[in-house]
Amino acid sequence: MRVGFWRSAGLIALRDLRVEIRSGEALTVVFPFAVVASWVAPLATNASPLLLRDLAAPVYWLITLLFGMMVVLRQTAVETRAQRRALALTGLDPAARFAGRSGASGLVLAAVAGTLVIPVIIFYDYRPPSGAWLMALVILLAAAGLAMLGTLAGDVTIGLRARTSLAPLLMAPLAVPLLMGAAQSLESLVAGKSIITWVLVLVIADLGLAAAGVMSARALEEISL
Amino acid sequence: MKKRLLAVLSGVALGVGLILAFTSPPDLLQGDFVRILYIHVPSAWLAFLAFGVTAAGSIGWLFTRRMSWDRAAEASAEIGVLFTAIALATGMIWGKPVWGTYWDWGDARLATTAMMFFVYLGYLALRRTTTDPRLRARRSSVLGAVAVVQVPLVYFSVKLWRTLHQGLTIRPDGIQMDGAMVAALMANLAAFTLLYATLLIYRTALARIEEAAASERAPARSPVTVPRLGEAEA
Repeated sequence: MRVGFWRSAGLIALRDLRVEIRSGEALTVVFPFAVVASWVAPLATNASPLLLRDLAAPVYWLITLLFGMMVVLRQTAVETRAQRRALALTGLDPAARFAGRSGASGLVLAAVAGTLVIPVIIFYDYRPPSGAWLMALVILLAAAGLAMLGTLAGDVTIGLRARTSLAPLLMAPLAVPLLMGAAQSLESLVAGKSIITWVLVLVIADLGLAAAGVMSARALEEISL
Repeated sequence: MKKRLLAVLSGVALGVGLILAFTSPPDLLQGDFVRILYIHVPSAWLAFLAFGVTAAGSIGWLFTRRMSWDRAAEASAEIGVLFTAIALATGMIWGKPVWGTYWDWGDARLATTAMMFFVYLGYLALRRTTTDPRLRARRSSVLGAVAVVQVPLVYFSVKLWRTLHQGLTIRPDGIQMDGAMVAALMANLAAFTLLYATLLIYRTALARIEEAAASERAPARSPVTVPRLGEAEA
């Protein structure tokens, strides 16, 4: 029986989400760690309330990037070679695997990033812009991009001894267009300006990453086997 | 023979470029510091070209699986990293007397160029982790194809953000420079492009030799030996 692309991707995403729910690592380890990081920054700088408000958005995106990398790269680290081989033997489309894996990582990352807004509001006295749905859209687009980038970086470095240091080194600079798009979108929202240019930057970056992921899926599968 | 001719040609072109750079008039505001730009701008241009070729080589490998594409991608990335470093260094040297600082975070071009530099350092680091040429090509081709997204970001950064860096000098509506300066800049652009072509050809040839040497050094696959009694190792 042949399973279609989207159904295969959905099954992979569902499996990854189940693993995540069962282990609860993103919620019980990564998220509290991210909250601690957001709490340490004001302590370390002894910042004034005004300065803290200015720092809120950059610190938020920095923490989202760093802890997002942990969430996304962990997803590719938990799978063993035997599991990957078994998946390949089922005839699963490698592009569907990429889509499913990125989808699941993106959802987990969006949940972590969305929840992280709360401690930033509390600790930094941050006043989020009106138009919560636009803010949610920006977070979702950034999370999708980071998830795809993380899946690519994780797959490219799979099986390497230097993986834990190399994958973030590859991912962080490439995430710059996403972070710039996201940070500038929120800044424009706060200033009451149009965010269409920056949302376009995010959409183009996401589409580029999706194309790269689909195009290189076969080569990535070969690396992982 | 053709390789040598190209090397000689690029040497001559670099000499001509250097003479024009030193004989062109000083800038009204920047004075003689403008001469740094005759190295800075061609280096930046070469970096863009080199990373574009890396992306083309990576995509070419993904589609054809021919190692020549991968060799070109690697060689071009190495040259690109070298020239990005030169562009960054000359930019900073020029920035101190003209802007008053080596580094300014308000300059989007500077920040995005540094990011591009780190992306390709990561690309080269990734290549060093794998000795098997085919596996190395598989890993790095994906990154080489994705990393090129930095190039338009760096190029258009002066348009996307309000930045300290000057905008585009050569535009469709004309060139905002004196004729002698344009000549010096163009001569150096041509010379650096020739130098890039020379380095690319030599580095690609070297990569081919390295691969051949590595395959000769590789041990034969687990030879089957006749079992003998009394020879077990302690």
